[in-house]
Amino acid sequence: MYPFAYTKPADTRAAITAGARGGRYIAGGTTLVDLMRETVERPDTLVDIGGLPLREVQATASGGLRIGALALMSDVAAHPRVRSAYPVVAQALELSASPQLRNMATIGGNLLQRTRCAYFRDVTAACNKRQPGSGCAALEGHNRSHAILGTSDACVAAHPSDLAVALVALDAGVHLQGPDGERGLAMTELLLRPGDTPDREHDLRPGELITAVEIPPHPRPLRSGYLKVRDRQSYEFALTSAAVVLHLTGGVIRDARIAAGGVGTVPWRLDAVERLLAGARPSEQLWAQAAAVAADGARPLRHNAFKAELLKRTIERQLRTVGGTR
Amino acid sequence: MTRPAAGAPLSRVDGWLKVTGQAAYAAEHDAHGAVRDVAHGVIVTSTTGRGRINGIDTRAAGALPGVLTVISHLNAPKLPYQPFRGVPDPARGGGERLRVFQDDQVRFFGQPVAVVVAETLEAARHAAALVRIGYDGERPATDLASPAGPPNKLETYQRGDVETALRQAHTRLTRTYRLPREQHHPMETHATIAHWNGDRLTLWDKTQNVLNTRADLAAVFGIPPESIRVISPFVGGAFGSALRAWPHVTIAALAARQVRRPVKVVLTREQMFTGTGHRPVTDYTLTLAAGQDGRLTAALHDISAATSTYEDYRESLTVQGQMLYATSNVRQSYRSIPLDISTPTYMRGPGAATAAFAIECAMDELAHELGIDPIDLRLRNEPGQDPSTGAPFSTRRLRECLRIGSRTVGWDDRDPEPRSARDGNWLLGTGVAVASYHTLRAPAQALARLDADGNAIVQCATSDMGPGTYTSMTQVAADALGLPMAGVRFQLGDSTMPQSPPHGGSLTMASVGSAVQDTCDKLRLQAIRLAVEDPGSPLHGAPANDVAVENGRLYLRDDPGRGETYRQLLARADLSHLETPGGYTPGDEVERFSTHAYGAVFAQVAVDESLGLVRIRRVLGVYDAGRIINPKLAESQAIGGMVGGIGMALLEHAVTDPRDGRIVNANLADYLVPVNADVPDVNAIYLRGDDRTADPIGVKGLGEVVIVGVAPAIANAVFHATGRRIRSLPITIEALL
Repeated sequence: MYPFAYTKPADTRAAITAGARGGRYIAGGTTLVDLMRETVERPDTLVDIGGLPLREVQATASGGLRIGALALMSDVAAHPRVRSAYPVVAQALELSASPQLRNMATIGGNLLQRTRCAYFRDVTAACNKRQPGSGCAALEGHNRSHAILGTSDACVAAHPSDLAVALVALDAGVHLQGPDGERGLAMTELLLRPGDTPDREHDLRPGELITAVEIPPHPRPLRSGYLKVRDRQSYEFALTSAAVVLHLTGGVIRDARIAAGGVGTVPWRLDAVERLLAGARPSEQLWAQAAAVAADGARPLRHNAFKAELLKRTIERQLRTVGGTR
Repeated sequence: MTRPAAGAPLSRVDGWLKVTGQAAYAAEHDAHGAVRDVAHGVIVTSTTGRGRINGIDTRAAGALPGVLTVISHLNAPKLPYQPFRGVPDPARGGGERLRVFQDDQVRFFGQPVAVVVAETLEAARHAAALVRIGYDGERPATDLASPAGPPNKLETYQRGDVETALRQAHTRLTRTYRLPREQHHPMETHATIAHWNGDRLTLWDKTQNVLNTRADLAAVFGIPPESIRVISPFVGGAFGSALRAWPHVTIAALAARQVRRPVKVVLTREQMFTGTGHRPVTDYTLTLAAGQDGRLTAALHDISAATSTYEDYRESLTVQGQMLYATSNVRQSYRSIPLDISTPTYMRGPGAATAAFAIECAMDELAHELGIDPIDLRLRNEPGQDPSTGAPFSTRRLRECLRIGSRTVGWDDRDPEPRSARDGNWLLGTGVAVASYHTLRAPAQALARLDADGNAIVQCATSDMGPGTYTSMTQVAADALGLPMAGVRFQLGDSTMPQSPPHGGSLTMASVGSAVQDTCDKLRLQAIRLAVEDPGSPLHGAPANDVAVENGRLYLRDDPGRGETYRQLLARADLSHLETPGGYTPGDEVERFSTHAYGAVFAQVAVDESLGLVRIRRVLGVYDAGRIINPKLAESQAIGGMVGGIGMALLEHAVTDPRDGRIVNANLADYLVPVNADVPDVNAIYLRGDDRTADPIGVKGLGEVVIVGVAPAIANAVFHATGRRIRSLPITIEALL
């Protein structure tokens, strides 16, 4: 670990000022501190935002939900409104990490957590994300856990968040506050694909702070759920995962929102699957047909080719679980 | 009569110390006040897998405030490194241990190449990140198929005529089974604090064998063993990783000598992957031949296992192939393959757990091929005496293990047809495998002292890495001395104490336990003799054999009212204490009898075939381990071993990047071990009884046998569930898709 300065601002404005000067925000610290110990992250200054009043979870006037960026994963997972209206979010959270980590980690931090790519996390390996231009050790290395969608020749690291997958399916966005004021971004705008610049992971400007996540209103009734596939039953990142959100009336799927995790460099929205589902009636055949296109465009690597097939099966299973066959 | 302590499910005598943080582990002796003014050493490891160091730049590191020195081969003193063979000797096949900072050669990725010593851990870690090392590196050999050099000497075994038997066999099958590199990963990472006082060295070390560490370091520094004291009262798990003194122990001692003050070195979790050994990658090709009746007619074992380029590590891979089943014709060849890796070492059930995976999966395959029930096949091949030596078994109750286990899991209700049971998306399967582990015994000594207050202290330089040695030895001592548990304190983990064999190989209870029994019997008899010869004693004149001791009171068996306490006895004799040494030396029973612990392991699994998931429903082990000194501790041992076996079957695999030899998943987020959710129903049953031929206290060893057989039972259950044989561990999602 490299030495660093530590500051704990009293309010959001002071925090943003410190952040704009180059300070790194720290809240739960469940990912940043690990990476500092490995010298992957070497911030000069840590700006502790843990005391800022950004923990509230509340319904919006339009019928959506606003989740403070500093709300704890465990609190959001247990929130009655989240559990009743957005099971996909509660499940994604409860299938993440361990209870100890969920008691520390915040919603904002969860979205910005960094990849589990072993070469990224090992400063002695080549990594374009950590050190632009140094190469990608994972491309020809051990890449079982890596992405098959949204990859580039510069980076194949998978985005690790389960929550982000559920939020992408729900068309959620983030509220930002920065030196130049407030703005908002869709989840899909916040997180960037690697392209030629895998070191740029998000579209935040210097000093900008995520203050809240907002889930827009959705037509009711809304069925949703999250399935996570991994080697052990708990405390492991996803090999594949599926967030399925369906609006069904009169036996017809009016609206389908499907996203996948563990397979993309960012949480992966499956538009092609959604198109096959919209306007159709649930059936075993439909689930199979729709899931069959889930891995279209996948670029498998040496050790993760199985993910393409596993992704289709994961999506199909979760479509059946959420949508039933009536 | 009061109930004996041995046999009772007592809680750990050191449990309170452990859960309240009062137990001092290796890295904590400074915090507990045993040593002051400790500097911190952080090891820098190689980032190439084979080659030489062409330059070390320590300027930035050395310039940091608080940094005392950076030691590498460029400035390290030449150390004597006298020839040394450990006990047990991990380099049984030959070679010499890694010498730290003595040359510029890099023999594996992760090899220690420098140590930074600083006032604080923070400064040392920061400086270690600033040390720049240049290498002339080349691609290392990390795969059994392309070794770093010619294979080491072939180890062979033969009986009968395998070729003829194979030719004439009714059924023959040849299968290759693969085990990956597995890591021990006890909770406590390895650590050493070294302190020189003149030419005398004190080491607070994590070790399963203080005497081995002492002897090894004495050879490294060319000083007499008596000038080194090794202290290791608590060990936070080891599973074999602490059976030898790894390079970091020498590094701590070397650094302490250089900076002239105590130095502490704690390995990081990542450094544990290459710094403290591992279970080697092993390929095991097995040919079994059998008659129509299922009787084995021949077995041909061809085993290749990884070792380093500088040591020829060998483990007990051939034992079960020789003695588990009645077969007249057996041939084995075992070769170790030198690779550019760190030397492997004993890991729980060493050799046996590996061999059992091959043998017990192959037996299951044979049973399926012949249409014979897997349990029945094993019963048909149950030998009447040890097939490798002709020696009688001291005890072998494998039939009972199988019978009780099959009854408990409802084996007879199982439809033998694969894919015959289903629960929603899950295919269900039940598998069985047999476990065995040879009972090791070795000479041990102990010292027992009875103080004037009537309490006793018993000592032996053994270790307690988790099985509960403190507690079980206290039980044996308390019974022998006629004292309550609270009246006996058992001490261990100090090289000044009476000699102990290594705390490993499941030999501690048999060997140290028998030594404690002998020593405490002697001390009790000494006290009884003192009483019966003392005219002032109520027991004066009584035959010593007629006197018993209970709760610290000596009394006449036929007239319990006549007696006195140890306290009264010692007070009247004006003695501060009574003290006696004792010990145990195994006799020729070791040769005359075949002694092994046995087990039958049953696994029930659920497989989600579409998603490739294997989930454990139940694991049951039924063990013939001789006498059980403490059922509560035994339960912990067995559950721990079986959980380790689940990890072996489904999760554990240290992945090597062939380009540079790096362990890719060198952390506990990526090197997967089971979590609670993975081990829902794990239970052990012990056959009642003992084995008084094996050793005086009747035990056969437990810690190793409980990991053996779990992985094949699970693999066989996966076959029963799915109809698919997975012969390479771990059984992953992609293997089942």
